Amino acid sequence: MAPKPAPKAAASKKPAKAAPKKAPAKAAPKKAASKKSAAPPPPPDVVASDPSLFAPLTPGESADAVRTLMEDRRITGMAKVGRYRVVATEPLVVKPPHWMHGHRLARVVVYDYAADRCVDACVDLDAGVVAHLDISKAQPMLSREEEAIATSVATLDERVREKLALGDAPQVTMHYWGKDASDPAYARRSAAVVFGRPGGHPSLVAVVDLLDNQVTAVVPAGSW
Amino acid sequence: MSNVITAANWKFHWRLTESAGIMIYLAEYRGRRVLWEASLPYVTVDHQRDVLEVVSEGTETRGPWWVPLGARTLAGNVRVQPFRGGVELSADFTAGPYHYLQMWRFHDDGRLCPWLTIHGTGLHDQHTYHPHWRFDFDLDGAGHDALESFSDGHWQRVEEEGWFPHTGDADESGFVWRQIDFGTGAAVNLRPHTWDDAELFAVRYHDGEWAPFSPRSTTGAAPFPAAYVGREPLDDHDVALWYVAHVHFDQSFPYTAGPWIKLEGFGK
Repeated sequence: MAPKPAPKAAASKKPAKAAPKKAPAKAAPKKAASKKSAAPPPPPDVVASDPSLFAPLTPGESADAVRTLMEDRRITGMAKVGRYRVVATEPLVVKPPHWMHGHRLARVVVYDYAADRCVDACVDLDAGVVAHLDISKAQPMLSREEEAIATSVATLDERVREKLALGDAPQVTMHYWGKDASDPAYARRSAAVVFGRPGGHPSLVAVVDLLDNQVTAVVPAGSW
Repeated sequence: MSNVITAANWKFHWRLTESAGIMIYLAEYRGRRVLWEASLPYVTVDHQRDVLEVVSEGTETRGPWWVPLGARTLAGNVRVQPFRGGVELSADFTAGPYHYLQMWRFHDDGRLCPWLTIHGTGLHDQHTYHPHWRFDFDLDGAGHDALESFSDGHWQRVEEEGWFPHTGDADESGFVWRQIDFGTGAAVNLRPHTWDDAELFAVRYHDGEWAPFSPRSTTGAAPFPAAYVGREPLDDHDVALWYVAHVHFDQSFPYTAGPWIKLEGFGK
């Protein structure tokens, strides 16, 4: 049996709420066609959503999304300086009745090193425009290129090399941030490269500042 | 392999994301919409000191770290397997000393299990995992929903966005939170794992507040999903839920975290 909602906030509202949900999305347009004065059709509901909008972006769609973003005037400075990393491009689907519902959308997340900021955009691939742009100090995940750079910087660092044991190699690169302001990684984009023997216990952690591409801490794994 | 699965009274779609594991979207049970999308946006890990040193270099407390669960950490393929009374999707993810098995199990009686088995040794023994699931349930449509929390012996309506930790209170079936659709009375019940030390964040759905590509919001600010929590009313709106587990590593690993979810009011 369906649960009875708790009688707290709005028991009196319940009958009114049920009505809009029952309206059949398909039946309404037919009536409207035959009778001009009929009420407008109900707004589309999530039930009628198109699954293909969730499909992974093709390589061409990803390229299109990044190009469209880079041509947007609001980020001209970032595109001109060219010190940025594309962190991710993924499909995005908005719910009806939003005006972009039904459009093929891409979310593009870029980290702008020149301004130390995150650019999070929604690109409407049908219209070829940036439909939404959010610029903030948020720290998105590391791109694959950033992971590779952090690994390289850590591996080449003398302090790291001195402490590595025979057979130690990079195991994984994590997106890391400090807990408080005493840690340089608190406010600066950073990665932590974990070293150890392949398949064995980690032995060492090197924190890499990705803004300056330098190692800021070398810590035995057991002391992390 | 098709990304549409119709089995065990369910019909759902899935895809492998860049950072949020296997995402489920447009899920229906007995022909009725249950879910817009659900995913595992991130699993953060933080550490407590394993070795005490008289003289230590660097900071005393380290922050958390994480690595995306997605194409770059996928080990093998995404698997679709029937089991007695249902069908499940699963995939392994490996990142150095961290190993995860993500599962979505769909039972023909309306149960749904978004689970994560945590393997691996980690950096050392003193660490804690924080898997974050995001659920955007659309019960028979997006709006007209409400959230209820079981406390003080009965279900209580949650009026506005907030953080709702599991305090130990639960109904006779073990459910602690439920999302209800006013129009049909259909509900989704959530039962946390006893040892998950679980908490729920409930926020009003907004286009633009998509699952972020990181738990890290602005320096010094609350991380996501806490950064999304404001004072907006939830009653009669579209609600998004974040279930967060806190799993301390111990000798009994591997450990499977995640809630039991049970549909109600979707017919026999």
